Amino acid sequence: MSEQSTDRSPDQMPEPVELEYDPVFIHARREAIIIFCTWLVGLLWMVPYCYRYGYNVADPSQITTVFGIPSWLFWGIAIPWIVANLFTTWFCFGFMKDAELVDNPNEEIKSPAEGMESNQ
Amino acid sequence: MNGLHSLLAASASNAALWTFLVYMLAVFSLAIFSNKLMRGKNFLSEYFLGSRGLGVWAFALTFAATSASGGSFTGFPSKIYTHGWILGLWIGSYIVVPICAMGLLGKRINQVARLSSSITVPDILRDRFRSTSFGLIAVALIVFFMSFNLVAQFKSGSLILKTLVLEVGVFQDASTAVNGWIEGIGFLEGVDAGYLICLLTFGIAVIIYTTYGGFHAVVWTDVMQGIVMVVGVLIMLPLALMLVSKGAPEGTGGLEYATRQMIEMVPPEEGTVTLHSTGVVTENLAIRQGDWLTLPGESPRLFRVTGESNIPVGSSSASDVSVLEIMTPGDINRVLGHEDTVIRSDLQVDLESLEMTAYVFGGEEDRNGNGQLDEGEDRNENGKLDHPQKGMYVTGPGPDKREMNGFLPLSLAVSFFFMWAISGSGQPSSMVRLMAFKDTITLRRSIFTVAMYYSMIYFPLVIIFCCARILLPGMENESDRIMPAMAIFLTENIGLGWLAGLLVAAPFAAVMSTVDSFLLMISSALVRDIYQRNINPDVQEKTVKTLSYIFTLLVGLGAMAGAVNPPQFLQDIIVYTGSGLAAAFLAPMVFALYWPRSNASGCISGMLAGFAAHLAMYFSGIFTNGSFFQPYRLLDFDPIIVGLFTSFAATFVATLLTAPPPRDLVQKYFCKPRTES
Repeated sequence: MSEQSTDRSPDQMPEPVELEYDPVFIHARREAIIIFCTWLVGLLWMVPYCYRYGYNVADPSQITTVFGIPSWLFWGIAIPWIVANLFTTWFCFGFMKDAELVDNPNEEIKSPAEGMESNQ
Repeated sequence: MNGLHSLLAASASNAALWTFLVYMLAVFSLAIFSNKLMRGKNFLSEYFLGSRGLGVWAFALTFAATSASGGSFTGFPSKIYTHGWILGLWIGSYIVVPICAMGLLGKRINQVARLSSSITVPDILRDRFRSTSFGLIAVALIVFFMSFNLVAQFKSGSLILKTLVLEVGVFQDASTAVNGWIEGIGFLEGVDAGYLICLLTFGIAVIIYTTYGGFHAVVWTDVMQGIVMVVGVLIMLPLALMLVSKGAPEGTGGLEYATRQMIEMVPPEEGTVTLHSTGVVTENLAIRQGDWLTLPGESPRLFRVTGESNIPVGSSSASDVSVLEIMTPGDINRVLGHEDTVIRSDLQVDLESLEMTAYVFGGEEDRNGNGQLDEGEDRNENGKLDHPQKGMYVTGPGPDKREMNGFLPLSLAVSFFFMWAISGSGQPSSMVRLMAFKDTITLRRSIFTVAMYYSMIYFPLVIIFCCARILLPGMENESDRIMPAMAIFLTENIGLGWLAGLLVAAPFAAVMSTVDSFLLMISSALVRDIYQRNINPDVQEKTVKTLSYIFTLLVGLGAMAGAVNPPQFLQDIIVYTGSGLAAAFLAPMVFALYWPRSNASGCISGMLAGFAAHLAMYFSGIFTNGSFFQPYRLLDFDPIIVGLFTSFAATFVATLLTAPPPRDLVQKYFCKPRTES
């Protein structure tokens, strides 16, 4: 915390209007938000569905099956699993942007102390 | 020692040993090859990060194998066997684990690591915020958590190895010899000689190949181990379905039959009994784990011995023998009708002495609604439950021996969605791998590959071990060994005993691939983050190299020494450290990568707050539940959820309360290189 440059004047604050964000950052952030939403959708489908149809079943002998799997698990997990795989496939090959990831030519791994002096 | 082990002895143990040796040979060859690769490259970057050059297969499989630790092949099958189909929901979030764990942070963390020339996770945090203290805090947390985890993983690897070689003659001779040597050595007092041999073998093998080969050796062995795991599962699935369908009526599929049988299943009961022999015995009469006993009658009762015991010379009975009673009529008929079943006809069960306890959830209908099993009211004169509950194994929350609310109550089902997908994204060991892929095409293809890989492993495992309930009844007491037992059972049935060796190697491979990467993480933290960056920045490459070898070696030996007398609660330690790391690292990393406004104060606060909140839940467990490893569950949720929420909230609030970051830092990490002034 002490190294944080708190002594900078307000005019040195980052102002997004002046800065042109790197498209790699913008894309990565958008992808991250979509992935998080996917997780949320998965949670909201799988847990409530399984809970509604698979928990505290009054008469378990009446449980139906699909391909031998209890149907609550088939529609609650197996089908979402397939859907998720289709989504992942689309996401990887149809949506995610490629970016050029280059090593920073200015910083050699052997000189770790670089950039530290300014704060000391 | 029991039925399973004699089975092992009969056919597969030597095969297992040979598989293991061939396997280790391959691992060492990979290490030598990796070491050759290091020549002429920047040592640190190559040794700890493979020079950021991982392609699709290497990256995808190292990622999958590292996160699928030993638990996937010992703990998970055991849970499926014990609790039934509900494990499908328990593991449900794995449908999004690949895309979450690799996609949430992947592209950005790789980019930022390149921009700052970082090779470790603390490196990134330190450079991204230009804060030495942040780097040191991160190192401290990583070393703290990973060391505990490493000790636990060493233990679990050794135990798996022991299962593998238990019946091999050479091993038994060696155990006896070692037992003689260690007698009287204080440090080794009371240590099981067999375990010690396995620990040394496992430990030294892992330490040598990791130390010598570095990151690439770890990655390539991961690839090999990953392939072993998936091949194992894919061989077992059709075999299990085929064998189950043998018992099915005409026109019913194997799995359909299995589920129908599971609906009828009732959880077993555990307890003790007195056993009588037919007369006074003239030589010690051994009662072995796994022996079957019956109590004949109109509907015979079936018991399985769960603890070794014996009737001593000159006596005719043994009291307090631990047994498990099979409660499902279908299972009883299957066991009694099976040609290989041997019933101990020389032992008689004393009906009067039976003291059995049912599962707290699933063993009995709680007809009085008082949350208690009421022995007097709910049992008939034979001591049998009047109303054992059917259908537990095909519905939620699943039967449970101890938990009042069943195996997976709603709150825990939600917790596991956080545990696998979100907490998985926050593991520093995963982050390191994300720093190592070559380009974004590799990332995209790898996410897809891992998604397919997990689909081929996890749901099939649920199916296989649900079938195991029908194929191998009465394994509840030793369910940790259901994986090797099932591997041997399945391959024996098609006359390919040697295949068991490969299948049994899968869990071992899983532990090994986790251990090697953790080992490298700790030593990189020490060499890079502490020594090179804080003590001696101008260190010579040669010194760095020597230090890296020495530290990797020392950390490994240290963990091995810790595992000689390992702490109990193996699985609990792994859960605690895994979720603790996520609670500390995920929020700071997310903000560091995606929020230009984030600053060092905010992210450090978030890291410490997450660590503390998570720890507090475990500490509260001491007072509320009597054990550190039975953490307090706020609103019934797992501590990981409390830790993550605290961490995210603390980072956000503390950042807004403190000054914005310097403009040049924002420019360096968030803007195009050409706009840099």
